[in-house]
Amino acid sequence: MARSAGNGIDYVSPVRRILVGVTIVLCLAIFVVWRIDSPRVERMRTELLDRVVPSFEFAGAPIRSLADMVDDFQSYQRIYEQNQDLRRELQQMKAWKEAAVQLEQENAKLLALNSVRLDPKLTSVSGVVMADSGSPFRQSALLNVGSRDGIRDGWATMDGLGLVGRIAGVGKQTSRVILLTDAASRIPVTIQPSGQRAMLSGDNASAPTLDFIEDFDQVRPGDRVVSSGDGGLFPSGILVGQVIAGTDGRLRTRLAADYERLEFMRVLRSHEGEVVPADGSLIVPPQPVPLLPPVPEEGIDQLAAGQSENG
Amino acid sequence: MVDPVTARLWGFRSLYLLLAAIIVFVRLLPLDMTVPVLPGPDLLLALTFCWTIRRPAYVPVLLVAAVYLATDLMFQRPPGLGAALVIAGTEFLRSRRSQNRDVPFAFEWGLVTVVLVGMVAANHAVLALFAVDRPSFGSAVFRGLVTAAIYPAVAFLSAHVLNVRKPSPGKTDALGHRL
Repeated sequence: MARSAGNGIDYVSPVRRILVGVTIVLCLAIFVVWRIDSPRVERMRTELLDRVVPSFEFAGAPIRSLADMVDDFQSYQRIYEQNQDLRRELQQMKAWKEAAVQLEQENAKLLALNSVRLDPKLTSVSGVVMADSGSPFRQSALLNVGSRDGIRDGWATMDGLGLVGRIAGVGKQTSRVILLTDAASRIPVTIQPSGQRAMLSGDNASAPTLDFIEDFDQVRPGDRVVSSGDGGLFPSGILVGQVIAGTDGRLRTRLAADYERLEFMRVLRSHEGEVVPADGSLIVPPQPVPLLPPVPEEGIDQLAAGQSENG
Repeated sequence: MVDPVTARLWGFRSLYLLLAAIIVFVRLLPLDMTVPVLPGPDLLLALTFCWTIRRPAYVPVLLVAAVYLATDLMFQRPPGLGAALVIAGTEFLRSRRSQNRDVPFAFEWGLVTVVLVGMVAANHAVLALFAVDRPSFGSAVFRGLVTAAIYPAVAFLSAHVLNVRKPSPGKTDALGHRL
C-alpha cells in the first residue's frame, strides 16, 4: 500500500507506522490496566461474554448434537469390547445394588425415627453449559444462569455425580465455572476413610493433584475424596473423586464428574457462613443503643454563656 | 457503484472477519471439557499469518487488532497482550513482503515458525515479568509448533479454496501501484 510511486516523497508509510505503534501501545496499556485493576476488566469481560454467547446458542445446538452423533458412531466401532466391559460391570453392580437396597432400607428407617428435614438452604439451580474457555490452557465453562437467577461468586457446581468446579465471574444471564482441573482451582478436601485433610489443586492435567497431605501412609489409591467444607467455602461431603497415584509419583484425584459430557450443572446455593464482626461480640451481647441523644455542642455553649451572664 | 477491485478488497476483509467469528464460535462450543492431551493448533493465527504474507491488504492492522482484542477477552487470556504480539508479528511479516515474494514455500514456512515461537517466548517473558499465572513454557511452545505444523494446510486451503495467493509480478492495485 504505502509504496512511494515515483514522486520521491512517501507520506503514507510514516503515518501507518505511527498508527501501528499507537495500536500496539494501546493494547499493552489494556494489558497493564488489566494487571493493575483486574476485577474491573474481568467484569468487562463477563459483560462481553454475557452479550455475545447467548446470541449464538441457537447455532450451537445443532453442531453439538452433530458432534454427539459422531461420538456415538465412533463408539459403535468398539461395541464388542464395550459389551464385554458392560457385562463385567453389571456383575459388580449387582453386588452394589444389593448393598444399596439394604442401606436404603436402613436409611429410611433411621430417617423415620427422627423425622429429619434436610436443610432447605441446600437447594440448587440447574444450568446448561453454553461455552467452554476456548483456550487449551484455561479450564472453565460458561453456564446460562447468572445474577438474575441469584447466582453468586464462589458457589459450588456439580454434575449428577460429583463436584465440577466453582463459580467465578457472574454476568447477568451467564456465569463462569472454574473447573477443578484449571490451574487456578484450589479446593479443601477430606480423604475418606482415613479423614486426612488435603488441598485439591488443579494443574491443567485431567487429574488434579492432592497437596498438603499430612500423613501419606494413610492415603492409598482408591480412597474417596470428598469436599471438606473447611473455610466455609463449600458444603461438606460432596463427592469429588478417587485417589490415584499419578505417573509422576504424586497423588492425584480421578474426578467423579464426567467432564467429557458436561451438559448440565447444578449450582449449589451455599448458605453464607455467619460472620463475627469484631472480637468478643460472640460473648458480649450487643450493647443497647443509648436512649438519650447526646447534647449538641451549641447547646452546651449557650448554657455556659447563660450561666456566666447570670453569675 | 463500488469498483470491483475495492469490492473484492472489502469482500476479503469481511471474509476474514467471518472466518474469525466461525473459529471463535467452534472453539467456544462446549464439546469436551476434559483437558486436551495435546494443545490444539491456533487456526486463527495461522490464517492471519498466511493472509499477511499473501495479501497484506486483506488483513489491515486495525482489523487484526480488533479481532485479537475480542478473542483475548473471549478466550480468558490476558487482554491486550495477545493482540499486541500478533500485531508485532504480522507487522514483521508485512515488512518482509518484498523479500517474501519470490522465496520458496519452505522458507516462508520456516519464517512463520520462527515468528510463532518468538511470539510464544515474548508472551511468556511478559507474563513472567508481570507475575501472571501462565502455562508451562514447554506446552506453550509445543502449541506454537502445532500451529506451525498446520500452516501448510491453511496456506493450501486459502490458496485453492478461498483464492488468496501471492500477487503475480507486475500486478497493480486500484491506484496503479505495484502490489
